[in-house]
Amino acid sequence: MEKTNIGAALKKNTMILALVLVVAFFYWSTDGKILYAQNINNLISQNAYVFVLSTGMLLCILTGGNIDLSVGSVVCFAGGIGAMMMDKGMNLWLAVLVMLVVGLLVGMFQGFWIAYIKVPPFIATLAGMYAFRGLSNVVLQGYAVSVTDTTYLNVFGGGADCYVPDFLGGNGINLTCLVVGVILAIGYIALTVKNRLSKKAKGYTTAPLTSEVIKTVLISALIVWLMYMLAKYRGIPSALIWIAVVLLAYSYITTRTTTGRYLYAVGGNEKATRLSGVNTKKVYFFAYANMGLLSGLAGILTIARAASAQPTYGQGYEMDAIAACFIGGASAYGGVGSVAGMVVGATLMGVINQGMSIMGIEANYQKVVKGLVLLIAIIFDVMSKKEKK
Amino acid sequence: MKNAAQVLKKNTMIFVLVLVFLFFTLTTKGQMFTALNFNALITQNAYVYILATGMLMCMLTGGNIDLSCGSFVCFIGAIGGICMVTKGMGTGVSVLIMLLVGVVYGAVLGFVIAYMNIPPWIATLAGYLAFRGWGTALLSANSSTGSIAPFPQTYLKLFSGKIFETPINELNIPCLVVGILASVIVILLNVMNRNSRIRKGYEVSTVTAMTAKTVISVAVILLFAYKLAMAGGIPTALLWVVAVVLIYEFITSKTTIGRYFYTIGGNAEATRLSGVDTKKIMFLAYLNMAVLTVISAFTVIARFQAANSTAGTNYEMDAISACVVGGVSAYGGSGSVFGMVVGATLIGVINLGMSLMGIDANWQKVIKGVVLLAAVVFEILNNKEKSKE
Repeated sequence: MEKTNIGAALKKNTMILALVLVVAFFYWSTDGKILYAQNINNLISQNAYVFVLSTGMLLCILTGGNIDLSVGSVVCFAGGIGAMMMDKGMNLWLAVLVMLVVGLLVGMFQGFWIAYIKVPPFIATLAGMYAFRGLSNVVLQGYAVSVTDTTYLNVFGGGADCYVPDFLGGNGINLTCLVVGVILAIGYIALTVKNRLSKKAKGYTTAPLTSEVIKTVLISALIVWLMYMLAKYRGIPSALIWIAVVLLAYSYITTRTTTGRYLYAVGGNEKATRLSGVNTKKVYFFAYANMGLLSGLAGILTIARAASAQPTYGQGYEMDAIAACFIGGASAYGGVGSVAGMVVGATLMGVINQGMSIMGIEANYQKVVKGLVLLIAIIFDVMSKKEKK
Repeated sequence: MKNAAQVLKKNTMIFVLVLVFLFFTLTTKGQMFTALNFNALITQNAYVYILATGMLMCMLTGGNIDLSCGSFVCFIGAIGGICMVTKGMGTGVSVLIMLLVGVVYGAVLGFVIAYMNIPPWIATLAGYLAFRGWGTALLSANSSTGSIAPFPQTYLKLFSGKIFETPINELNIPCLVVGILASVIVILLNVMNRNSRIRKGYEVSTVTAMTAKTVISVAVILLFAYKLAMAGGIPTALLWVVAVVLIYEFITSKTTIGRYFYTIGGNAEATRLSGVDTKKIMFLAYLNMAVLTVISAFTVIARFQAANSTAGTNYEMDAISACVVGGVSAYGGSGSVFGMVVGATLIGVINLGMSLMGIDANWQKVIKGVVLLAAVVFEILNNKEKSKE
C-alpha cells in the first residue's frame, strides 16, 4: 500500500522530480554556480517572457492542442512600436498602453480568422509570424532602438535598478523581500488549510493529511528559500511581480471561472460543449485575443530587459512557450493542463537554458537540446496517457 | 454563359496567376516578361516546387505539415559541405550520404508521428529548432565564416547551371526541341485520355473545352521553351522539378497508395476500418517529405554554391503557402500536384515581381503572410458555399 502510494506520487509529479534532478545535475556540473543568488535572480528576470507567453499559450493549447506560432513576432512588433514611441519622447504609460492594445488587436485579428472562419490555427498564426516579423522591421526601420527611460526600465525589469526598493532598510540583506516571502508562505499555508476545511465541510474527498502537510511544508519552504536567495542579492526583481500577477490571475481564471472551465471543455470535447449551449467560437476567440494581449505584455518585458528593441527580438519565443506548456503536462490534444504545471515546465526550460549557458555550451547546441527536450516531453506525455487507458 | 462562370470558378488560381503576371509585367515595364526573368522564376523557385510536393503528401493526410523542412535543408547542406568540401569525398558518395541522412530522419519522424501519435507540428517543431542549431554548429565548426564552399564542379553541374548552355539571346536549339517534344506529348496524352474515356463510357468534356485546354497548355510550354532558349538553355534544376512533379502527379492520381493519402485525409477512421494501414501511410508521408527535402537541398546548395547557416530559412512557409494557395485543403483530403504547381508559381511570380519593383524585403514578408491567409480564407469560404449547394 505504502509503495503504490509513493509510486503514484512519483508519477504524478514526474516533472517536478525531473526539475529537481536537472537542478542537481547543473549544481554538480557548474560547481554550485546555478544556485548562486545572482543566477536565481537572472533565471527569473531572463525568463519572465516565457512565463507570460506560456500562460497565454496554455489557454490556446487547452482548447484542443491549438498553438500560436506568431507570438515571437508579435512580441517584437508590440515592443518595437513601444520603443519607437518612447524614443520619440511620448509618455511611457501611453506607450505601455499602446503596446498592450497592439497585442490585443493582433490577437483579436488572428482570433477572428481562427474562431469564426475556421482557419486552422497553425496556418493563421504562421501567416502572422511572417507578417508581423516584417512589420516589426518596418516599424523599427531595421535598426535597434534603445529604451532609456529609467522609470520604465525599473518598473518592467530592465536596467541596473529593476528591484522593489527595500522599505525596511535591511543591512546587507533585503528585508522587504524576506518579509514578503514569509507573508506569502503564511498566506499559502492559510489558504491550504481553509481550502481543506471547506472541502471537508462540503463532504468532498480530501488528500490524506500527511501528503497534504508534506506538500504544504515543501512549497512554503521553497517560497521562503527563494525569497531569501533573492534578498541576498538585490531583492524582488520587478519582473517577478509581473510574473506573479499573470500567474495568479490565470490560475484563478482557469480554475475558478466559467470562461476558464469552458477552455477545458472545448478541448475535451468541442461538439459536446457546443451542444450544451456554450458559444465555442467565443471561447477560441477569447483564447487567441488573450494570447495577443499577453504577447503585448511580454513585449513590454522583453524590451525592458534588453533596454532596447531590435527587429530580431522574439525569435523562437513561440517555441519556448509551447515547450514550457508541454513539459508542464499540457496535453497536445487539448483539455488537460494547468498553470502550476506550466510553471514547472517553464522553470525547467529556464534552468536548462541557464545551466547550459553557465557551462559554456554553444548556443547552437542549446537549440538542439531544447528541441530534444520538447520531443521527449511530448513523447512521455503521449506514452503515459496510453498507459492510463 | 453559365459555362464560362464554371470554367472561371474551377480555374480561379490560374486566372489569378495570369492577372498577377500581367500586373507585374505592366508595373515593371515588361521586365517581368524577359527571358532572364523566366529563367530566374524557375531556378529561384525550384526548391519550392520540390518541397511543396512533399508537403502536399503530408497535407493530404489531414492537413498535417512539416515545420522542420527549412532547417533540415540547412542541416543537409552542412552534411554535404563536410562530405564534399572538408573531407573531399566524391560527389556520388556524398549525395548518397545526404540521401541516407534524409531517410534516417524521415524514418524517425515518421515513426514518432505515425506510430507514437505525436502531433506532427510538435514533432517537426522540435526538428525545426534542433536542425537549425545542429546545422549551424556543424558549419561553424568546419569553417570560420559559417559557410562551406566551394563545392566541386561535378556536384554543381548535377543540380544547377544549364544543359547545353549557349550565350544569352542566342536561340538554344536543344531547349526548343524539348519544348516541342513536350507539346507533342501533351497533345497525344490528352487525345489518348479522351479516347480511352469515351471507350470506357466515362463522361468527357466537350471537344471545344478540350481543344482550348490543350492549346493553352501547349502555348504555355512553348512560351517557356522559347524564353528559356533565349536565356541560355534548360536550367538543370528544372529537370529535377519536372521529374519530381511528374512522378508525384502519377503517384497521387494513378496508384492505390496515392489514393490512400486522399482517403485518410477525407476520413481517417473509415479508411482504417476498410483495412488500410493508415499508420503506414502517415509514416510514408513523412519519410517521403524528408527525402524530397534532401533533393530540394541539393538544388539550393548548388544554386548558392555554398552551404550556409541561413539556408532554408522560412522554406516551410513557402512550401505550405504553395500548397494552400494551390487549393490543397488545410484539413486534408483534397488537393493536386497540378494545383500546387500553380500555387508555387503564383508565389514565385509575386516574389520575383516584388523584387523587380524594388519593394522592401520586409513588406514582402508581410505580403506573403497576407497571401497565405487570404488563400486559406478563400478556400474555406469557397468550400462552405459548395457544401451549401
